[in-house]
Amino acid sequence: MVLTPDFESRPVISFQRVFKTYPTGTEALRDINLEVPEGDFLFLVGPSGAGKSTVVRLLIREEKPTKGKIFVDGIELGRMKRRKLPYYRRKVGLVFQDFKLLPNLTVYENVAFALRVLGEPDQHVRDRVAEALDTVSLSAKENTYPANLSGGEQQRVAIARALVHAPRFIIADEPTGNLDPATAWEIMQLFLRINARGATVVMATHNREIVDLLRRRVVAIDAGQIARDDRSGRYHDDVAKPQVRAQ
Amino acid sequence: MMLRNLKFALNSAWQSFWRNLAVSLAAVLSITLILILAGINLLVGHALSQVLDGFRAKVSEISINVSDDTPLQSVYDFEQVLTADPRVASVRFITKDEALAQFKADPQNVVFAQQIEGNPLDAKLEVHVKNLSDVAGIDTVARRWSGVDPTDPTNYQGDFVNRMLELSSWLSLAGVALLLILMLVSVVIVMNTIRTAVYHRRKEIEVMKLVGATEWFVRGPFVIEGIMTGLIAASIALALLVVAYPPAVDRFKSDIGFIPLSYDPRFITILAQDLLLAGALLGALGSYIGVRRYVRI
Repeated sequence: MVLTPDFESRPVISFQRVFKTYPTGTEALRDINLEVPEGDFLFLVGPSGAGKSTVVRLLIREEKPTKGKIFVDGIELGRMKRRKLPYYRRKVGLVFQDFKLLPNLTVYENVAFALRVLGEPDQHVRDRVAEALDTVSLSAKENTYPANLSGGEQQRVAIARALVHAPRFIIADEPTGNLDPATAWEIMQLFLRINARGATVVMATHNREIVDLLRRRVVAIDAGQIARDDRSGRYHDDVAKPQVRAQ
Repeated sequence: MMLRNLKFALNSAWQSFWRNLAVSLAAVLSITLILILAGINLLVGHALSQVLDGFRAKVSEISINVSDDTPLQSVYDFEQVLTADPRVASVRFITKDEALAQFKADPQNVVFAQQIEGNPLDAKLEVHVKNLSDVAGIDTVARRWSGVDPTDPTNYQGDFVNRMLELSSWLSLAGVALLLILMLVSVVIVMNTIRTAVYHRRKEIEVMKLVGATEWFVRGPFVIEGIMTGLIAASIALALLVVAYPPAVDRFKSDIGFIPLSYDPRFITILAQDLLLAGALLGALGSYIGVRRYVRI
């Protein structure tokens, strides 16, 4: 079932000597080189402030690199025109720690929103939303408002919204950060299923248990640099002194 | 797809207008007041130009008084000189008898005419010039002519005409300046209204941008909301002005009788076009600017 990423083929995400310095002078990333093949499942780990979120922000083009190049699916993000950006974002499914659901819309409407923005026809929207809600097992709650859902359910709605337009990439920033371990595990199962269907997943996380259990590719970032890139890694490379690297 | 987007934009504009009703109404009210002022400005400007047009027609005529001892041939010669002048539209010779007849025909002169013995009036050449500004030139030519009545050469009142012309150009300049200020103020008002609406919906906008909405998809509803605000304000302002226009003209007519003010129903159409167009444009512009900062990806 699990798609094995083809490390020999051309990468779909590629960071080439990327530096990022914020206008405040903070040096968030230094000389990042990273290649992600199609179908990969990659954990970005590291202490808070190490630069994980900057990698995510660069990937969704909320920020541009100060130096170096980032290619996603052949497009150089730093040189992409602003009017092309919406079309790039449509290829990407985004999941955040704080879910980013709209409180005045129902579960169904929240998921449908991602398709309405693209101007998809109503029938198409209905079919796709039903499918996405089915994937996250929330079909029964389509008329519920986010405030009446648990944290795990809200994150499942966000995931349904992220995959309703069948994106090739899923970028998740601490998707289990606000969830208890059992719920976090459920959410991870969803991501694994999405990955198994062929989507490339890049996930920034602090969740040690999950990273250690899944043994997927782990890229550890420390002080703005890649400290480690293991194909089948753990949260800490040195089990003897985990506290040093932990947040 | 365009239609679906338009439907989406119209729906969210409508919802947003009602959701922030207090702010929307405040904006409608402010813009209504501004458009009323702008409308009054247009109406006064129009009345003024009507008056000035009448005035211009009158003063673009100059009559040259011919002295009694001038031979008729000399008058005809001069008439031909004037007719040949490119600045002149037409020349008419009025004999002493005709001048007297005209004088007597005016009901204002009835009593005076009865007391006249003989004919004290000059024969005159009534000259119609093409451009108002050429009256002075013709006046100079006339004064140099040997046949002119030296005691009262022409009816030209140079300074008065010039001053009226100057005044009218200053007034229209002031009108335009006032209009510009009013427009600017209303753009700022719409901008702030839309900013409030945008602020309430910033989370929605953030999500829209993250799922790949184009800038115009995000901006559209706000621009439509701005246009709606502007059009509602313009309609109210127009209704009030249309109701108040005829009585206001009547009132001023009786107060200042010497200015030939008149009610011009055709101008209502022009006023309606101007106000509605201005309302829509101001609304669109204000919201475009107001939403800009938040919409930029």
